[in-house]
Amino acid sequence: MKKYSQKPGEISEFSDLPFWKKADGVDLAYVGYGLLIVTLVVASYLLGMFKLLPHDPEEISLELLMAPAGTPGYLLGTDFMGRDILTRLILGIQAYFLPGLLAIAIALLFGTLLGVLAGYRGGWVDTAITYFTNLVDSFPRMVLILLVVAAFKPDIYYIMLVVGITNVPVVASLIKGKIQFLRQKSFIEAAIALGLPTKTIIWKHILWHNCKALLIIQATIGMGEAILMETSLSYLGFGVQEPTPSWGNMVQAGSNYFMQGKFWPSTAPALAILFTILGFHLLGDGLNNILEGKRNK
Amino acid sequence: MTSTPLLNIEGLRTYFYSRSKQAFIRSVDNVSLAIARGETLGVVGESGSGKSVTALSVMGLITAAPGVISGRIEFTSGGVARNLLENLDRYVQLTEEHGRIMGVAKDAAGWRKNAEHLLGRVRGKEIGMIFQNPKAALNPFTTVGKQIAEVVQLHTSHKGVGEARERAIHWLERVKIDSPRLRYDNHPFGLSGGMCQRAMIAMALSSEPSLLIADEPTTGLDATIQSKIVDLLAELKQDIGITTMLISHDISVIKRLSDRVAVMYGGTVVENGPAAEILAGDAASRHPYTAALLASIPNETHVREKTPLLAIEGEVLDTINTPAGCRFYARCNRVTDKIRQQCERCEPDLREIEPGHRVRCWLYFD
Amino acid sequence: MKLASYRPIALVLARELLITGLLLFGVSLVVFTILYLAPGDPFSLLLEGQMPTEEARAGIREAMGVPKAWYAQYLSWLGHMLRGDFGTSVRTGLPVLAETLRVGFNTLVLTLGSMLVTLLIAVPIALYAAVRGTNWLSWPLTMLAYLVSALPVFWLGYIVLYVFMHKFGLFPLAFGFASSQKLSWLYFLLPVLVLGVGSGTISEVVRYLREEMGRVMEEDYIRTARAKGASVWRHAFKEGFLIPVTEIIAAKIPFILGGAVIVEQVFNWPGMGRMAWQAAQDRDFPVIMGIAILAAVFVRCGTLLQRVVYVAVNPRASKE
Repeated sequence: MKKYSQKPGEISEFSDLPFWKKADGVDLAYVGYGLLIVTLVVASYLLGMFKLLPHDPEEISLELLMAPAGTPGYLLGTDFMGRDILTRLILGIQAYFLPGLLAIAIALLFGTLLGVLAGYRGGWVDTAITYFTNLVDSFPRMVLILLVVAAFKPDIYYIMLVVGITNVPVVASLIKGKIQFLRQKSFIEAAIALGLPTKTIIWKHILWHNCKALLIIQATIGMGEAILMETSLSYLGFGVQEPTPSWGNMVQAGSNYFMQGKFWPSTAPALAILFTILGFHLLGDGLNNILEGKRNK
Repeated sequence: MTSTPLLNIEGLRTYFYSRSKQAFIRSVDNVSLAIARGETLGVVGESGSGKSVTALSVMGLITAAPGVISGRIEFTSGGVARNLLENLDRYVQLTEEHGRIMGVAKDAAGWRKNAEHLLGRVRGKEIGMIFQNPKAALNPFTTVGKQIAEVVQLHTSHKGVGEARERAIHWLERVKIDSPRLRYDNHPFGLSGGMCQRAMIAMALSSEPSLLIADEPTTGLDATIQSKIVDLLAELKQDIGITTMLISHDISVIKRLSDRVAVMYGGTVVENGPAAEILAGDAASRHPYTAALLASIPNETHVREKTPLLAIEGEVLDTINTPAGCRFYARCNRVTDKIRQQCERCEPDLREIEPGHRVRCWLYFD
Repeated sequence: MKLASYRPIALVLARELLITGLLLFGVSLVVFTILYLAPGDPFSLLLEGQMPTEEARAGIREAMGVPKAWYAQYLSWLGHMLRGDFGTSVRTGLPVLAETLRVGFNTLVLTLGSMLVTLLIAVPIALYAAVRGTNWLSWPLTMLAYLVSALPVFWLGYIVLYVFMHKFGLFPLAFGFASSQKLSWLYFLLPVLVLGVGSGTISEVVRYLREEMGRVMEEDYIRTARAKGASVWRHAFKEGFLIPVTEIIAAKIPFILGGAVIVEQVFNWPGMGRMAWQAAQDRDFPVIMGIAILAAVFVRCGTLLQRVVYVAVNPRASKE
C-alpha cells in the first residue's frame, strides 16, 4: 500500500522544499550511514595521528590472550598476542587513509584532465586517450600491482599510486561522456557563441556546475576501492607489515587461529572492512541518486 | 442510444504524483466517454488535456504512480459488457476534501495482479493501439515483419510460423507498404517514419480487433506523410469499418475521420457530440472552449482576407491546481454576469443540449 | 538468420582483433617498462633465465651478446615471446608459457564458475527491483547484495573453510582432494562459490542491470509490446538484459581476476593468481610477466565477446 497525499490549497510552481524532502528516503538513509562511516574514519584517523589510543598497539599482555569483546579495559578484546584490538583497529586506518586520498587525488586529477581533453578536443587526442584507458583496463589491477611489487618492493604509497592510475579511465570516461552530453546543450553552445574563453567554459560551466557531483561520487567510490586494495594487499603480505596494524594483516594473523574456533581476532577487522566499504559504496550510491537525480523523473 | 456502446468510460480518474511538487497532477479527472460500434470518435484538445492518458488508462498502460484510481471502463466483447476495472476499488483508498481528492493510497501490486487478469484478454486481441512517434514505438531489435507475425500468432488462429508470416505480409500490403516481402525483414531503423506508422497500423489491425485506439497517429511525421497516413486511415475505416478512438490535437485530422467528437480540456471532457454539429455548426451552440479552439485555426477566409487569428487568451490549465469551478473559467470570453458566480464556484455537469450532444457549461443551464 | 547478417559481426570481429593486438603490444611495453626500471636489472635475468651474481651477469651478458640498449632488449624479448618463448621460471626452471597456460586453465574455470554464481544471485534481484521498484522485498535483497559485496573475500574464505572442516569433518589435503573422497567435489566447489559471492561484483551487477532494465522498461517499444499483449520480457531481453550483462561482466573480469588471486591463496587453488603471488614473493620476473600478459589476454577476450554479442544483437551497431 503506497500512500500519496497533497496539502489543500494552491501548489506553488516550483516547490521550495528542502532537498531532503524531495529525495527518496532510502537514499537519505544511505547517505546518512555513509556520512557516519566517513566521520568515524576521519575521527579515528585523527585519534591515531595524535596517539590518543586506549592502549599501546604493540603492548603484549600474555595473561590476556584472545580475550573476548567486552573484557574490562579491552572493549573489543585482544588478539593472539594480547594486544588490544580496538587500538589496532583505530591505528589500522593509518594504513589506508592518506594512501587512499593519494589514489583518489590521482584518479580525479588525471581522469578529469584526460576526460576534458577527450571530450572537448576529440579527434586523435580522443583516440589516444581511448587507447590509454583501454590499455589500463586490460590489466587486472591486482596482477599489475603484483608486478610492481615484484619489481620495486614498494611501500603502500607507491601501490596506491598504481591504484590511482588504474582508476583514471573510469573518471575520464565519465567526464568525457558528460562533456559530450553537455556540448549539445544550448547553454554551452550559447557560451561558445558568446565567445567566452574555452577555459571559462570548461572550468566554470562544465566542471564546476555540472561535474562537481560526479567527482564527489567518484571520490567516495575510490575510497572504498582503496580500502579494499590496501586490506587485500596487507592480507597477501605485500602491504603493511606486522607489527604495524592494518585491517588486512589483522584478518590474516587472526585467521591462523580460526581452526581452533577463535573467530574474533580475525572477524573484528573483517567487520570493520565490511561496514566501512559498505559505507563508502552506499554514500556514493545515495549521492548519485540525489545529486544526479536518478530517481526523480 | 440504441445498443450498448462498444466502449463506455465513466468517471475515469488517472492521477500522477509529482514528488518535487508534492501534489497530484490530475491528468484525467472524471472523464466519461462512449464509443458505439462502428463509429469513429475523435478526441481533441490541447497537449496536456489528458487525451493520451485516457487512452493509455483504457489499455492499462499507465506506469507512473498512482495511475488509474477510479472509474468504470466497460468494454463489450462477445455481446457481454465487462468493466475492465472490476473489483479494483478495494485496492484504492481515497481521501476527499470538498469533493476533491487529496490523498490516494493504492496497493499497486494487488491492483496490477487483478487488472492484468482482465486486460490480458482484451489487450492486443480486442483492442489494438497505435502510438505517436512510430519509430520509437517499434522494437528496434527485431524486424518489422516478426513484430507483426508475433501479434498474428498470439491472437489469431494462424499459429504456424509460415502462416503467420503470410498474414503479416498480407497486412503490410493492406497498409500500402511497397514490396511488403522485402520490408518484412527490415528493422525499424531502416524504414522512414511514415513506413513505421504503416507497420504499426498493420500490427494493430493484424489481430482483427474490435476497437482501434489511434493515439496521435500523425504527430512527429512530416506534413506530406501525415496526410498520407490520414488517407490510409480513412480508407481502412471505409473498408474494414473498425470502431476507432482517434486522439489528436490536429482538428483537421479529427474533422476528416470522426463521426463523433469529444473535446477535452484540463483533464475532462467539456463537449461531446456529432462531429458535424461540433466542428461545423454555429458557434452559439458550442462550449466556449470548443468555439475558441476552432476560431484559432486558420482557414481560407483568414488567408484571403488577412484577418487576424483569434488565439485563446491565458495559459493552458495546469492540472495540479484544478479550480473548484469551471476549468475554463479563467480563459472564458463568454461569461455573463448572470452565471459568473456559478462558473467560479462549481463545475457544471455534462448536459445534453440536443440529442447526443452534451456540453459542460453553465451557459446551457436554464 | 541469413548470411548477410553475419557480415557485420565478422567486420567487428576483425576490427576488435586488430585493437586487441594493438593493446597487447601496449601491455608488453608497459610490462617491459616496469621491469626495465626495476632495481637489480631483472632483464638480464629474464633473458638468461638464471640468477647470476653481479659480475657474472655482466660477464655473461657480454659473452652472450645480450643487447644493452633498452629498445634492443625489448625487441629481443618481444621476439622471443612472439615465438612462444616466455623464458623459464627462475624458481622452478620450468618454461613459463606452458606453466602459465596450465594454471591459467584452472583460473579460467574458477573465474567462469564464479561469474555464473554471481549472475545467478544478482540477476533475479536486479530484474525484480527493475520492474517493481523499491519495495519490501527488493530493498532487503538489494541491501544483502551490497552487504556481501563489501565482505572481504579472504575472511569469507576462512569462514567457509571452517564450516567445511567442522561441519563435514574434512580436511583439505590438496587442491581438489579432501580427506574424504566423497566430498572432494565440495572442496572443488567452495572456491567458486566464495569468489562468486565475495568478489564484490554482485552489487555492481545488481546496480547496473537494474538501471538498464529499468530504463528499457520505460521505452516506447515496451509499451507497444504490452499494448499488443506480447511478453514484455521477450521484447526487453536484448537491450535490457543481454547487452548490459555482457557489458558488466566484460568490464568486471579484471576485478574478478584480482579476487581470484586471494581466493586461490585461501583455498590453495593452483591457479594464475597463486602463481603470481608466489612469483611476486620470489621476484620471479619471467613468471609474473607471463601471467600479466595472459591475464590481459583474458580481459581482452571478454571485451571481444561483449562486442560480438552487441553487434550480433543490435542491427544498428554495424551502421555506427
